[in-house]
Amino acid sequence: MNTDTRKLFSPEKLFKVFGTAFFVYLFFGFMLLPCINTITQIFTTKNAAGEATPWAVIEFFFAGNMPKYVWNSLKLALTLVVTVNIVGVSIVLLTEYFDIKGAKILRLGYMTTLIYSGVALVTGYLFLYDRNGIITSALKESFPDMNANWFSGYNAVLFTMTFACTSNHALFLRNAIRGLDYNTVEAARNLGAKPLKVLAKVVFPTLIPTMFSLTVMTFITGLCAMSAPTLLGFDSINPEIVRLAGSSVADEAFPQARAALLSIILAMFTIVLLSALSSYERKGHYLSVSKTKAKLVKQKISNPIANVMAHIYAYVLFIIYMIPVVMIVIFSFQDHSAIKMKSIDFSNWTFINYFGEQDYSYLTSRGTYKTRVGSISGLFSNDATIGGIRLSFILSAIAAALACVIVVIACNYIFKNRKKKRSTVLEYSLLFPWLLPTILICYSYRTYFNSEEVWYMFSNNMYYMENVRFLIIMAYTVVKLPFALRMIKAAFYTIDEELEDAAKNLGASGFVTFIKVKLPIILPSVLAVFALNFNSLFTEYDMSATFASRYGTTYAMIIQSMCTDEGLYGYNINASGRRCASTVFIMLISGLILYLVYGVGARDLGDRLELKEKRKKRKERLMLRFSKTKTLAAPESSNS
Amino acid sequence: MIKLSNIVVKFGDFTALHDINVRVKEGEFFTFLGPSGCGKTTTLRTITGFIEPAEGKVFVKDQDITNVPIEQRNIGMVFQSYALFPSMTVYDNIAFGLKILKLKKDEVDKKVRDIAYKVDLSDEQLKKAVSQLSGGQQQRVAIARALVTSPAIICMDEPLSNLDAKLRVQLRNELKKMQRDFGITTIYVTHDQEEALTLSDRIAVFNNGFIEQIGTPNEIYNHSDTEFVCNFIGDINRLEDDMVAGLIKMGSTLNQSDHHFIRLERLRVNTPAAANELVLDGVIENREYYGLYIKYYIRVGKQTLKAIEKNDGINIYEAGERVRVGIHPVDIMTYAAADA
Repeated sequence: MNTDTRKLFSPEKLFKVFGTAFFVYLFFGFMLLPCINTITQIFTTKNAAGEATPWAVIEFFFAGNMPKYVWNSLKLALTLVVTVNIVGVSIVLLTEYFDIKGAKILRLGYMTTLIYSGVALVTGYLFLYDRNGIITSALKESFPDMNANWFSGYNAVLFTMTFACTSNHALFLRNAIRGLDYNTVEAARNLGAKPLKVLAKVVFPTLIPTMFSLTVMTFITGLCAMSAPTLLGFDSINPEIVRLAGSSVADEAFPQARAALLSIILAMFTIVLLSALSSYERKGHYLSVSKTKAKLVKQKISNPIANVMAHIYAYVLFIIYMIPVVMIVIFSFQDHSAIKMKSIDFSNWTFINYFGEQDYSYLTSRGTYKTRVGSISGLFSNDATIGGIRLSFILSAIAAALACVIVVIACNYIFKNRKKKRSTVLEYSLLFPWLLPTILICYSYRTYFNSEEVWYMFSNNMYYMENVRFLIIMAYTVVKLPFALRMIKAAFYTIDEELEDAAKNLGASGFVTFIKVKLPIILPSVLAVFALNFNSLFTEYDMSATFASRYGTTYAMIIQSMCTDEGLYGYNINASGRRCASTVFIMLISGLILYLVYGVGARDLGDRLELKEKRKKRKERLMLRFSKTKTLAAPESSNS
Repeated sequence: MIKLSNIVVKFGDFTALHDINVRVKEGEFFTFLGPSGCGKTTTLRTITGFIEPAEGKVFVKDQDITNVPIEQRNIGMVFQSYALFPSMTVYDNIAFGLKILKLKKDEVDKKVRDIAYKVDLSDEQLKKAVSQLSGGQQQRVAIARALVTSPAIICMDEPLSNLDAKLRVQLRNELKKMQRDFGITTIYVTHDQEEALTLSDRIAVFNNGFIEQIGTPNEIYNHSDTEFVCNFIGDINRLEDDMVAGLIKMGSTLNQSDHHFIRLERLRVNTPAAANELVLDGVIENREYYGLYIKYYIRVGKQTLKAIEKNDGINIYEAGERVRVGIHPVDIMTYAAADA
């Protein structure tokens, strides 16, 4: 083999060829073609006579009640922007800017949404506030005439999502306010500005970029809301798309095309908003120009009435955040009857909702008692729940890992070919799913791959039986690519270019340099992205609901089914108990992941070695103490 | 040892290096000196292989290495940022190159410990993460890592620029000692003239992608070939036209149309006039006290001259005081106006 041929078939060259083929396959096969198919669906709809009527769906859209779904989603998104910003800014100011007593405890309460969100949070709220909920039952005792179904529809969705969507404020706005240069506050005070003026004129302007991003993200979240409207009964776009996707022409007029149209409308809103966001980001922000930043000192509220009011407000918010968490944790250790009666039995704590099994006796219509053996089952002894957890675990882990691997390889290429057009193309193609609402991607997959005509799937129907799991993995992966890219790309930026040069200079090949030098540097970030993606996918509801099928029943779908009323004759028995245990389980998993990501993962080699050294010293001290005690005890025992 | 022959480096339309020709002798400490963007690092990276020249050749020991891959050049490098691998311990950083060479574990261990001893790194420090070391210690690790594979040449790209002034001076001396002990041919890049003058056997002064002068520190400082070199190296007084005219009147053979310079330490303040010395009257405008010496700003006619006097603790002049300034014509460096 001559040198040229060897060069042509070198491992790096082959890797490049296969890599390019893979990315082309991924982009066209799993991003572009399914979505284009969705768009064309709208205009290729056939009427009852089998004739193509390109504008029929759009005409139907305006004639029917579909604008209602769009308007409802818009209304929710708009109001959510106001309420989430009010609560989000409040919790950050109360814990980071103003001097409020017990701020550390308050912060923990406000941050519970980081470990407790999505479908778990909604079911938690339902546990408290639905017509059989603890709080509703308590209120009913005080106000017998009140509507037991008060916690449903728009108000319930708005209330739930307001508190569910402040996680980003708790993270990003907190960082922004912590990054404030306190000298600017002091300077304003020194120039005669009153505290409120300082807040409005000095503090807020520096928070505007973060606030703008958070506002756009909140708006998109509201527009694409899924679990809360589904579970709390509110007609908005996403639940309607899922409903239409599962409907057939026999039931209503062109359901698939209407679902496609709603998806496209959602996509258009998202594109406009994200474009506005990125053009705003490009304009630049008010950045501190201080060379030596002073750490923010908490501001005392000098007016005593305002101070008391602020404290009351802070603790009311704390109670709203904490009640569902506390109640769910408590009830997860109560037995079936206590949960059913919504009363805490302090003398009877149990793990049955987690691991146990118990027989269930009920009165039949004949007036006799019948027993269902082991019908009351806990989270880990219920086959359906275990099945859901297992499936979600596997699918989420594969997808989270796949997204990380794809992005790491892509980023390595992008950074190596920074000034070349093809690296820009690759980057934008990986960011492409960011422009599309999740529901559009999933809906597109569901319709496009539900056929045996997709040649690059080797003419397999991917929505058929177990194949749907592949679709779920691909959807999970594609949806997580933009987030993974943004985070991992930031990690690549931290690699000093000279490190790569140094490795090469010491004789390392491109592959060895990547594995031994670059990968260990970005690994904490990659693992963090993996963990965060896994965390959100594990209890992910929107995509699972779109792919709803017997072979794709994920954990979130199981949790949703736990909200269904417990029926007669032992149907769905102890669903509430499992629901509480599930929520606690999710909180533990999420908490553990956040600890691993931000606690353990944030440590560099130096920190780890220092910690190892400390542990070693502690162990030595303990051994020394132990051996001293032993030496002292030995003569005593010999004396005795 | 190293020969750069007619090297031209281009970045797109921009020519970064124009026809660079350098010969470095074996065991020599050779410095590339110049302001930012002058091409010194580009030349260094051309030698190490990170940059491919558009024209010209790089020779090491008479072998053409222009197209030899970086990893096969056997040239050690100490980077400006040290480029220590943050995910590895000090030991693993030093051992990296040896492991790439697939040496046996025992051999790697022996070589790492030997070089660590030579650069004054303790066994305890070898176990640490690089982030746990001070700037000076990190620099030692970078040098050890570059030297452990016994390269023929070592290249250093501003390795002292990240350190504070005191440590820089301390490490500068150690660096020179290490280079002598190892006897390794060293190419050193810096923009700091003091560093270049104190460390180097020879210096190449770069400007806008050209080499202005190659010479020993003394040649560069006292016999600068070009006005740029004369201006770039050390502080200097440029004699203005009125001053030159005055000196010509006093009998000097200066050419009015040329550019004339004199170093600060060559001006003599209030000292008895030596033979052929031209003496000017001046007034102290300002004084900067440096401890070891004192810098005076002296108004002479229409020009302010800077002069340095050793601080003897007795002859210290105040602002407004009248002084005599002595200039010896041989100390004046002259360049044709076209050189500017």
